[in-house]
Amino acid sequence: MDLAKIPNNRKLYLSRWYFRVGFLCLPIVWAINAVWFFNEAFRKPVYDEQKQIRKYVIYSTIGCLIWLILLVSWITVYQINRSAWGEFADKISFIIPLGIP
Amino acid sequence: MLTVNCIVIVLFYLSLIIFKGNGDRIKDTMFEDIYSSLACYRRMNATHQIGCSSKRGGSTGVVHYCEQIEDLQFILKSGTAGPYIPVISTTLFKPSTVELLIKQNDKVSGLLVYNSKDFELKVDYFSHDKTCPNNEFNFHGSCKSWNPKGTGLLYADIPFPIFYVEHENDTMLIKECFTKFNNFSYPTQKDRSLCSLELDSFMYATTSTPTCKRRSNIVTNLNPIRLCDPLGDHNVWASLFPLVKGPEGQTEPIKDFDYIIIAARLDTTSLFDKTTGAESPVTGIVTLMSIAKLLKDMVGTWDENVKTNVLFILFNGETYDYIGSQRFLYDMERGKFPVDLPYDNTYLPIIYPNNVSLYIEISQLSKGARLYTHSLTETKKIANFISKLNSTSKTVPVVDIYDSLPPSSLHTFIRGKHAIEGIILANHEIEYVNHYYNSLYDIDENIEYKYQNNSDSYNNTLQQYIGDVATMVAQSVYEEIMNKKYTGSKTVDLSLINELFHCYLEDPNCKVHKAIQKAKLPKTPVSLYVGVDTVDTFISDLTSLTLAWLTGDVVGQSGPNCTNLNKDHVYKYFNMSSSMNDLDNMTCYRATVNRTEAVSPAFIIPDYDWSSNQYSSWSESSWHSLGVRMFLKPSAAHENTTIAIGSMMMVLSFTLVYFIKSRSNILFPPTILSDPPANC
Repeated sequence: MDLAKIPNNRKLYLSRWYFRVGFLCLPIVWAINAVWFFNEAFRKPVYDEQKQIRKYVIYSTIGCLIWLILLVSWITVYQINRSAWGEFADKISFIIPLGIP
Repeated sequence: MLTVNCIVIVLFYLSLIIFKGNGDRIKDTMFEDIYSSLACYRRMNATHQIGCSSKRGGSTGVVHYCEQIEDLQFILKSGTAGPYIPVISTTLFKPSTVELLIKQNDKVSGLLVYNSKDFELKVDYFSHDKTCPNNEFNFHGSCKSWNPKGTGLLYADIPFPIFYVEHENDTMLIKECFTKFNNFSYPTQKDRSLCSLELDSFMYATTSTPTCKRRSNIVTNLNPIRLCDPLGDHNVWASLFPLVKGPEGQTEPIKDFDYIIIAARLDTTSLFDKTTGAESPVTGIVTLMSIAKLLKDMVGTWDENVKTNVLFILFNGETYDYIGSQRFLYDMERGKFPVDLPYDNTYLPIIYPNNVSLYIEISQLSKGARLYTHSLTETKKIANFISKLNSTSKTVPVVDIYDSLPPSSLHTFIRGKHAIEGIILANHEIEYVNHYYNSLYDIDENIEYKYQNNSDSYNNTLQQYIGDVATMVAQSVYEEIMNKKYTGSKTVDLSLINELFHCYLEDPNCKVHKAIQKAKLPKTPVSLYVGVDTVDTFISDLTSLTLAWLTGDVVGQSGPNCTNLNKDHVYKYFNMSSSMNDLDNMTCYRATVNRTEAVSPAFIIPDYDWSSNQYSSWSESSWHSLGVRMFLKPSAAHENTTIAIGSMMMVLSFTLVYFIKSRSNILFPPTILSDPPANC
């Protein structure tokens, strides 16, 4: 979809829905929202809906970053401790690598 | 037209002649396979992993052929092109060398060991078992340095792959490649193309048996795969007299027998994926079989007054912490031997450990040595039996040793709930005579066995010695069960002993194996490694058939009636040749012989506590492939050039496509529509 071709209220609608859907543990949707509407929110000349779009873009970015931090720290902790946790780690794993402890 | 056809045909045949229709793929022509390589692989027990593993997809390294330890030290110190794969002879293959390589792990990615036996450099000792084999499962305090030169490498966790190259041709191939490409001007090695090896023995399982078992059974695993299998196979047992009496079809169990167990072990192992096992266990197996045959001939059919029976048992997996005997005792203590039926069943008697009055184990034997009888304490029963051995012995001096138990299945029975009295017959007093215990050099030469093709002269041979031992044991056991001295004329069959050694050590398609079954067997000696429980090895099948043949009664002509179908399975019926010298003359044999599972109780007890270390816990890792390949690794400059040219080509093609696309209207002029669009 080319954002240039759709009316401003439609842009706001899209951005709002992307923001809402992101709450279903879908940080990647927030990331898309942030990237896709970045130009609309910050670089386009002012229009009525821009302020709201900007709000959604900023919130999406923050949410996405929080997710990123959480994921990175969990993955680090998990990867470092996987073999030490023993049975617990095996139970929460979907893929167990071959040939390493 | 015809001439054109002719030319095409001629060209086709010409090309066939010139190219010989070779369809080798490039990747296959790049590599030279080292076919005679034998891998070292990984096993786990309750707490540790042992053995070797390569990286996933194989570990590669530059060949360095070492003749002396100095060659190895030189490359570790001043090699420029690492990582290396040293190729060393068995004389250099010592724990100190392996330790040195483990310490220099970044410079070494694998190890190849070649057979120095063909090269006049015969090693005096080659045993990778521990100095006190099975130390954790022996009777407390009985451990001595039985195997003094044992390196213990079999139980070491080695972080790189090790392979053994069996054939000299393959070693020469590697040496030639090394001399041609690697063995000069070492400082500039990293700038040259170098002869390299790829060792592939990637092991799936790690850490310990409980870990790999747990990981193999996780339901949420998206890629379920069996990481390891328990070691195990089957024990083989046979009885001297049937366990039942009465006419066929209306048999009833004989419940008041006392039992003498005559046992030996059935398996051996090796650091590499091949076993030989001449002294341990084949001397024991053959002696046990000769005793069985001779005793059967001596006692004839059972009469009601005889209250003692003999069980011949071959335990499997004994090398790995007594798997077979532990399971046997476990079943026996729970009333599951010989079958899992209630005590008052009408088919077979249930045998408990307290029904066993004496246990005799045949350990390693060798020609000309004295026969040592090891036992824990001097009880009346044992002293009595040893004096019988002494009195029946004609040529072999018997030496009794008390308070001494070399590693053997007897340890399991002594550690059990009901201690069984027993002795071990062996050729060693305080340390093994065998210098190649549990290694692939324990071959027929080690026991001075030579197959006698057609001769009556077994004077001063191993066959003669084994025959003498079998005779004295058989006569002593006869006295024990009949309460009188043997006065008959039956003697041991030396040609049978000769043939049995041949079967186990040289040719599985020997006369005995042809007599007991008709399938064609592999040409190489059958492996005596216990293997994993999911795969049946040939050896326990063949051994049980041989025991059936040796202890069975002839019950008439062979034919369709000689079958176990529609019978109550207290006996087993076999169509077998009546003699190994007359293979076509088939007879029906009826024997009391069977196999019992030899998988450690640890794997069948639900919620077994692995940390208790009560039972053997060995398992073997799974793998995808094992193999060694040799190839020429291009120099760094060559590799860099290749990648540079590739990258340049890519950039060029992108640019070209961009320009073509931006000027596509020149190349493909737009079509001018002749008709104006219709007005809808």
